[in-house]
Amino acid sequence: MAEIEPTLLEIIKDHAVGLVGAPTRETQIADLGIDSFSIVEIIYEVEEKLSVEVPFNANENPFGEMKTVGDLIDALTELIGK
Amino acid sequence: MTRNVVVTGMGVVSPIGADIKAYWDGLSSGKSGVIRREYTLGENLSLTLPTAPVDGLETRIANLGRELMRADRFSQLAILAADEAIENAGLEIDDETGGRTACIVGTGIGGQTTFDNGYHAMLLEGKRPHPLTILKIIINAPASHMSIRYGARGPAFAISSACATGAHSIGVCADLIRNGSADVGLAGASEAVLSYGSLACWKAMHILAGETCRPFSKNRNGLVIGEGAGVLVLEEEERARKRGANILARVAGFGMNADGKDMINPAVEGAAGALSLAMDGVTVNDPHSVYVNAHGTGTLMNDPTESKAIRSVFGAGADELIVSSTKSMHGHLLGAAGGIESIAAILALREGVVPPTINYDEPDPDCDLNYAPNKAVERKLDLAVSNSFAFGGLNAVVAFAKV
Repeated sequence: MAEIEPTLLEIIKDHAVGLVGAPTRETQIADLGIDSFSIVEIIYEVEEKLSVEVPFNANENPFGEMKTVGDLIDALTELIGK
Repeated sequence: MTRNVVVTGMGVVSPIGADIKAYWDGLSSGKSGVIRREYTLGENLSLTLPTAPVDGLETRIANLGRELMRADRFSQLAILAADEAIENAGLEIDDETGGRTACIVGTGIGGQTTFDNGYHAMLLEGKRPHPLTILKIIINAPASHMSIRYGARGPAFAISSACATGAHSIGVCADLIRNGSADVGLAGASEAVLSYGSLACWKAMHILAGETCRPFSKNRNGLVIGEGAGVLVLEEEERARKRGANILARVAGFGMNADGKDMINPAVEGAAGALSLAMDGVTVNDPHSVYVNAHGTGTLMNDPTESKAIRSVFGAGADELIVSSTKSMHGHLLGAAGGIESIAAILALREGVVPPTINYDEPDPDCDLNYAPNKAVERKLDLAVSNSFAFGGLNAVVAFAKV
């Protein structure tokens, strides 16, 4: 299985049209400029590349209480560790 | 108070020209967009047949932006045509006018390439479906993309009536404007079904031409599937005049009905009925100045049926008017046919030139009208009519008058 952090950063980078430069753990999710299409695509790519099923319901805020890319990496690490 | 509807903009993507100027150059010079091409799916599925594709759009599609890059081709072609139509019309849609702007844009079949690739990946390769599949295939995708892209927040929906889709969309949009539901509208249709699975299904119907499309010619043997889109800007006449718009034509009539008989075979009464409804209230002083852009598919059944329908509506005038099937050049764009053929009709009206029916080399006694065989005909026109008669017996005819 691919490493979580670089894989997620790479996926996000491809969709972060609002961001100048590459995303890091400290990047705010709100600054990524991710549209509605990209959210479902990012989840799909995460599931494909990291062989994990993300328990995401499109009726909910996909990011919950998470604020930074680091929060996303931690949540994903926890999910995969389960 | 009667609200008249006029055409103030046009945009097209067709196999013989991917903008209005190139399209007219193709139409007036009798250009053929039909080529024999191989369509594949995966490594083992392949089909070679004559089709009318649109090539060389990669850069224009890449420039449409991120959201449309991820749309199915039928949406991309629709937006390319709509962008041109809006620019051509000099139309500015602001917050206030956006609420009175309609998007009535249909398709006959929808996101076929996405279906094909999705089923192949899912059923043959065991992959999961892409999460945007539904957003790509829904037939209202072009109407939705247009409403978002241009800020058009009036009535927006897709019409689907197979090969009559484009004509229905234009006619219904004109009616919405006439009835006061909107002041301006984008109306038309797109189609992009040149994929292995779709073409295999069309082939299974045994109605595709072996070599090319020969409408009204005795040696005709079927249709050639093409892709593309045609979009008009329709506008309430007073509004158009106030803003100094270039008025290209007036929507003089619209007729629609259903044969109520057969899923495949057309009926003279249905086609004639729709044509008659479109001509209701239209004064024809000189039938010599009337051009009918025929449905003219080049199938055994359609062409004599349509010829009889035209004769039954125009009577003796049928020998004076001029008919042509531009499908002989750009192929059958299915749902989009009525869109790009209405544009052909309006261009003919404005230019005083009737595009030819090419590949016409053998008169058929059952098709006994003047089909402008093989060469464009210069003629002063007052009225141009676009016929569309769909599988399933759904008919729509739009008439455009010179302004």
